[in-house]
Amino acid sequence: MGSLRSFIKDVRAAKTLAEERSIVTKESARIRTKLKDDHLPQEKRRKNIHKLLYLHILGEKTHFAQVECINLIASEDFRDKRLGYLAAMILLDENQEILTLLTNMLNNDLNHPNRYVVSLALSTLGSLMSPELARDLYSDVENILAHSKDDFLVKKALQCAAKLIQKDTSLVEVFFPYINSRLVSNQQSSHGVLLGVAKLCQAAITAKEKYEYDNYPEILQSMVQSIPEFFALLQDMNFTSFNPEYDVGGTCDPFLQVELLYTIRLLFELAPQETESYKDKLNDLLTKIATNSDGAKNSAHAVLYECVRTIFALQLDQSLKVLGVNVLAKFLSGKDNNTKYVALNTLLHVVPQEPQAVQKHRKFISKCLFDPDISIKTRAVELTFAILNDSNIKELIEELTAFLKLTSEDDKDLATYVVEHMIGLFEQYKLGDEKWALEATVNILMIVGEHISLERLSDILIMINNARDLDHKIQVIRRILDVSFAKSGESVSSANLGWKLVSAWCIGEYGDTLLESNIYLDTELTGYLRTLDGLYSDDCKIIGYVLTAALKLSSRLQNPSCIEELRQVIKGHNKDTNLMIQTKSVQYGILFNLPAKEKHDILGAMPLFEKKPKSGAAPAARPKFGTKPQEPDLLLELLDDDYPKKSTTSNAAGSLLDIFGSAPQSSAKPENGKGNDTAGLTQNLMTIPKDAPEAFRSTDLDVHMKLKSLNDYEAHVEMFIHANASINSLQVLAAVSKSKKLTLGSLSASTLAPRENCRQEMIITGGGKPKLRIKLTFNTGSPSITKTEQFDYKFDQ
Amino acid sequence: MSIKFVICLNKQGALRLIRLFEPFSGDANSSQSTIAQIYKLISSRDHRHQSNFVEFSDSTKLVYKRYAGLYFVMGVGLQDEELIYLSHIHLLVEVLDAFFGNVCELDIVFNFHKAYMILDELIIGGEIQETCKDVILERVNYLDRLS
Repeated sequence: MGSLRSFIKDVRAAKTLAEERSIVTKESARIRTKLKDDHLPQEKRRKNIHKLLYLHILGEKTHFAQVECINLIASEDFRDKRLGYLAAMILLDENQEILTLLTNMLNNDLNHPNRYVVSLALSTLGSLMSPELARDLYSDVENILAHSKDDFLVKKALQCAAKLIQKDTSLVEVFFPYINSRLVSNQQSSHGVLLGVAKLCQAAITAKEKYEYDNYPEILQSMVQSIPEFFALLQDMNFTSFNPEYDVGGTCDPFLQVELLYTIRLLFELAPQETESYKDKLNDLLTKIATNSDGAKNSAHAVLYECVRTIFALQLDQSLKVLGVNVLAKFLSGKDNNTKYVALNTLLHVVPQEPQAVQKHRKFISKCLFDPDISIKTRAVELTFAILNDSNIKELIEELTAFLKLTSEDDKDLATYVVEHMIGLFEQYKLGDEKWALEATVNILMIVGEHISLERLSDILIMINNARDLDHKIQVIRRILDVSFAKSGESVSSANLGWKLVSAWCIGEYGDTLLESNIYLDTELTGYLRTLDGLYSDDCKIIGYVLTAALKLSSRLQNPSCIEELRQVIKGHNKDTNLMIQTKSVQYGILFNLPAKEKHDILGAMPLFEKKPKSGAAPAARPKFGTKPQEPDLLLELLDDDYPKKSTTSNAAGSLLDIFGSAPQSSAKPENGKGNDTAGLTQNLMTIPKDAPEAFRSTDLDVHMKLKSLNDYEAHVEMFIHANASINSLQVLAAVSKSKKLTLGSLSASTLAPRENCRQEMIITGGGKPKLRIKLTFNTGSPSITKTEQFDYKFDQ
Repeated sequence: MSIKFVICLNKQGALRLIRLFEPFSGDANSSQSTIAQIYKLISSRDHRHQSNFVEFSDSTKLVYKRYAGLYFVMGVGLQDEELIYLSHIHLLVEVLDAFFGNVCELDIVFNFHKAYMILDELIIGGEIQETCKDVILERVNYLDRLS
């Protein structure tokens, strides 16, 4: 049995994974046997535990040595104790019963005459705190605080006191006097002790919520009285003394400064009235720090950043806020990606408070759009949307368009996010400058048409359709078709389905206008549709649009050969494997052969399209990029592919079908609140079976669970949601333990009026009684807010 | 404001040091896969052109820095101040460097227990307890002589 060093060498020398495994397993087994031997000399015990700690780093199981840690701690040899405590900190965790064994040892060692032993015990207590340890050992820690003159022990004891309070809030009463006594009595406290004081103060502040006795005001008062001391310390570190011991890159102890600022912030937040009289001083101090620190090092930035966070968290004076924004702008303009990251993050929160000040630094934000770091880019995009308003929309949309041009396949999600929002914005701002809006839209479409969702594409179509000025409309259509027909210098990739789809729609809708003004030949238009038909015969979305366009165009043409070609396009799909396309093809075939007059009436130009206002999320609630995708939506979209008519039915085509009245009407997606389709209504009235017990109750909704069937390998569960208030955009997320697999059915309705019900089916595979964690996300109230409820449920019967 | 864990990985993703001040979320058995995820996340980042911060889960953000062949990673809360933790890492590395004298990966591999000892003098229960390099060094050098 070799030394630790030779063991590590052996492991490292292993040539294959299998060899390494075999060495590790053998050694692990050997250690296990050795540790069982009661007569093993202490030195060997230490060696084994050292090896064991190495095994822990390698990811091996080490639980069998937990008792051995306790044995080592019990030894009087300092080397044994030290290793025993180290092993205890690494191998044990807060939840283990073995901690009770530890209590006695810690109790002895906290009162040990040797300061190094006490220090070890304090370190261990700080790492392995539990409510039981807190209850049993707090008096020992207090004893050290009250009597020790040793800074090493005091700083650790203070940190432990903070941890004790976190585990047992009633201990605030025991420990709070030490905040002041340490600050006042001993001006020369080391920074380690001051850090401990700050931590203890923070713990006492955060404990307020759970503190049960009614003397908290006194405690608070005592902490508020320490504010001048904190100020003095900060003042001293920044402006008076130079202390080479604590100097980090030109800044005096940034660690302590940040902790103190954070403590001050918590105090001011907790007690706005009591601290009011100190507010001016705080303003002064922060102004001085923020204007004085000019270090370019990370340490100086850390302090500045904490100042800025304090300014905005406490909503301090206007002048300070502007100063704060300027500091962040300085961060943004620098080369350091870390400061850019924190600046963007903070600015996002600051925009609602200080829109004007943030606006001023727009050019730095725009620069960050082109940063190579995706997380910086993402935040810059969010921030750009946050500062966008009527006056700067044109410039910012240009910036974003430039940004889109440079996106690669890696940034696809981000590009999609940008596009969705940009198109939404055009509607929201109801732009005066229609021509510009149309052109900007076409630009976006050209760059990232493949990332635009069908719903957004129909918004684009509506925008073109509703354009007030006919000239603008024709210009835009010309621009689109020139590119499609390769008549201009620009070109779009064949993957840009959005572009193709819009082109096809324009041809169908405006074929006659285009022909009358002799812009294009009828053969060109027909030819393009035929090409699309050939190239994208697998894509039911495009084909759907091509078919409609072909039908419409046929009523606007005179040339018989073109009409025949269009007939062939439509006829070509009447045996299509896609049911939806096939239905469409057959129906269009019938329409095609109607007398010209009737056909012309049916296929006339689209009227102005009124988009129904969205009842869901209020426009102000700007979703954050990277928030969870709406799962029910995805599910619906998946289903849509098989659902007759749905995918081609853009809003525009939908109203066309209304006119025919012959095709099955598509159901509007519930999450848009576009209407409660009849199916939804009947489902919403469904009743909850009597044998489904209540699993969860809140003011907004009740949840009932029912086990429909259970056998050895599969359980079928039904969940019913009963709305107590008006709910929309309801999403159900469910999780089961790892050994099981969950299949989530579709939610019967995602929009519920009060007293309506909906149902969610789930199948859980993997035996045993199912245990579920359910998370419900929904919008409710007015103005609508998003709420999340989560609960666990276990079937007992 | 509290550190959830400190880990040290080499460039190949092998774990060199690990101290959890809060258990990893999820199963106890999954700590290896959590570490693998952390490695995957940070090793794919460009250390010159990207920030040293990355969101890891819905409660944890990683603050990390590469020194030669070693990544030092701290897990902190989403609302915590990132920049100061970067200074923490730097302080830790400075102390390691001074203690071992131009520290390299092998120093840490063979003397992991000493590295843990240094960490314990710097951080207690996830909180920084001492910020003066000399004080820490004096202390650990003394402790080191005791064995």
